[in-house]
Amino acid sequence: MQQSLQNKAANESSNLKLKANSTTASKSKDGWYVALFLGPSLLLLGIFVFYPMLKTFYLSMFLTNNVGKATTFVGFSNYLSLLKNPAYLSSLGATLIYVLAVSALTVIIGLLLAVAANQQLKGIKIFRTLFSSTMGVSVSVAAIFWLFVFNPSVGVLSQLSTALHLPVINWLTDPTFAMIAIIISTVWMNLGFTFLILFGALQAVPTSLYEAADIAGVSKTTQLFKITIPMISPTMFFVLIVTLIEAFKSFGLIDMMTAGGPNNATNLLVYRIYQDAFLNGNFAQASTESIILTVIIAIFTLIQFKLLGKRVNY
Amino acid sequence: MKRRKIIGILSCLLLLILVVSGCAKSQAASKQKIVFWHEMTGPAGQQLDTFAKEFNQSQGKYEIVPEFEGGYNEAVQKILQTHGTSTSPALFQSMDVSTSEIYHAKIATPVQYFINKEHYNLNQIQPVATSFYSQNGQQISMPFNTSQPVLYYNATLLKKLGIKAPSINPSYSEITNVANQITQKSNGKVKGLTVEEYGWLFEQFMANSNEHMANNQNGRAGIPTKVDFTTPGAQKAMSWIQANVKKNDIINFGSGTTAEANEIASFLSGKLGMFLQSSADLGQLLAGTKDKLGICYYPHADGQKANGVSIGGASLWISNDKPKSVQNGAFEFIKFLMTAKNQAAWQKATGYLALNKNSQQEPILKKLYAADPEAMVPSEQLSRTKANTANSGIFMEGIVQERNLTQTAMQQIYTGANIKKSLTTAEDSMNTYIANNNKANHYN
Repeated sequence: MQQSLQNKAANESSNLKLKANSTTASKSKDGWYVALFLGPSLLLLGIFVFYPMLKTFYLSMFLTNNVGKATTFVGFSNYLSLLKNPAYLSSLGATLIYVLAVSALTVIIGLLLAVAANQQLKGIKIFRTLFSSTMGVSVSVAAIFWLFVFNPSVGVLSQLSTALHLPVINWLTDPTFAMIAIIISTVWMNLGFTFLILFGALQAVPTSLYEAADIAGVSKTTQLFKITIPMISPTMFFVLIVTLIEAFKSFGLIDMMTAGGPNNATNLLVYRIYQDAFLNGNFAQASTESIILTVIIAIFTLIQFKLLGKRVNY
Repeated sequence: MKRRKIIGILSCLLLLILVVSGCAKSQAASKQKIVFWHEMTGPAGQQLDTFAKEFNQSQGKYEIVPEFEGGYNEAVQKILQTHGTSTSPALFQSMDVSTSEIYHAKIATPVQYFINKEHYNLNQIQPVATSFYSQNGQQISMPFNTSQPVLYYNATLLKKLGIKAPSINPSYSEITNVANQITQKSNGKVKGLTVEEYGWLFEQFMANSNEHMANNQNGRAGIPTKVDFTTPGAQKAMSWIQANVKKNDIINFGSGTTAEANEIASFLSGKLGMFLQSSADLGQLLAGTKDKLGICYYPHADGQKANGVSIGGASLWISNDKPKSVQNGAFEFIKFLMTAKNQAAWQKATGYLALNKNSQQEPILKKLYAADPEAMVPSEQLSRTKANTANSGIFMEGIVQERNLTQTAMQQIYTGANIKKSLTTAEDSMNTYIANNNKANHYN
């Protein structure tokens, strides 16, 4: 979405430039226009995006003292020691598992819901509203809701398993289950948005294709894989990448549900940055971690650009 | 018409704001405002507000404005980052483990300055607490909310099972003996003992064995350059726990706040016989238990004298970026908080230990002890400890990291890993951190 907005803005500014060219031939005036239109956004981006970015990179090359000032230049040794740190590597591994699980599950479940909601049935609008409703839920509300579900003594899940004589799972205190619990909650939170986008894409698939398939006697499952999924694949890919990048940046649910524990099992990259900067006061390490995270997300964004560009007009 | 109405309302509002702010200003002019940042919630936060109110009414010169700043960890960064700006506090509470950081950041006037100026009698305050917050013979901050770890046991349960209660100053084997009997005689229905995987408790095992974790005498004789996690005392404690976890006499509840909550819940419901935890939990336990509560000192290794454990909690600091008159007012409030009567009220309301030696004679505490005699044990442990460099806390930066690392080592040890190897791994990581931190702060 951001990308399309940027494209739009770029188009508009080039239109303006064209106009400026056609009416006045003066190049200096052209420059003024450019400065006038780009200036404010450049200024804002500079102050709030580029300066902090450069400062973060700067801090990552130094050791910082106990008030957070850069004091000793160490080059890339912060990066080296971080990439050799087993705790950081396990965080990285946990983040990858989380990100892949969250984005895959979100897209698959979102697609199933969208296909189901695309049927012409009585009262289907109620379901469409329900499926997209998590879009309106804030992170803190979702966290408290899931904390109640996972509570070991009064939670719905533990009461269910007690009633069914199954062993009670310590959802948020067992390292493996804590990760699963966080994944479930995140997927639930993401579903509304994913559902809405995929549902919109489904609605845009021409009905004539299905009619032709029906006449040819193609089964519904084959229709799903041969018509529906290929037709909406660009949208699916878009949703996948957006969810992936969002998952890398997860913070709220983790902070409120597990605070990175137990035994650092849910201490994902962004949460680690927060802990190192604001709990441990180690700003150099936090900056280094931020830069590494930026590189990882940049790689995924690059993949998005490359692949989306190719597949958008199939 | 409509627009005029809106303008009318707006101007009324403006007038109101001006009047109100005018009032506030005239009040501030008569009384020196002293902003006090603290991190206390629940009963402790309420009691602090009460103290501030009482202090403000007791004199006409200063007005304490208590402001809650969230958790301990976040507060440290806020204090460091706002220093020298108009938002910084005049008086602040900061957690025990941040002491070295705050001291070296040079943002506070040592309270020793005011103690000397006003000839304040520091001897009335418990020495294990004051020594934690002093360096080179100078009191750098005033100990405030203070607790020590103790061993809690369910006295009613032990009696019911016919087990002799542990002595007041127990050894490791004495405790595991009791734990073993609890599990045996209850047919496994009641778990014997738990020791949380918690770096603070790890430090206490070393303190109680009269050992330094950091070199330069735990940082009291100079900036630490190395830590030692594999001292005989540390290894003895860890192998004691590991062997008894294997025999199921010690039950592992894990780490973190959830572990503590689960421990207390199990203890209160009679499913756990004994556990090691902060004395600050006393209030909660007394309120929650139907059984008779038993308390004894932190256990020590067999055949070895207990050196005593250090304290936990937080202390009060006076910022050096405020005018002298404000700093004097901040110290006035500290003196007010440390009176025998107020310290007794503080212990009664919160479970933190009264630090004024004379508090024990106050009627509030006498009444408390009459109702629950065991509530006296933590105070006794505190007052009978002879302060030395091993039990006065570790004066070192990065204790947060140290606790994370020792906690991880404990997690490994409890599940059967090699003790020396786990501790050495943690030690190496900590030494790297110390080397970097010392370099960054130009300590060497």
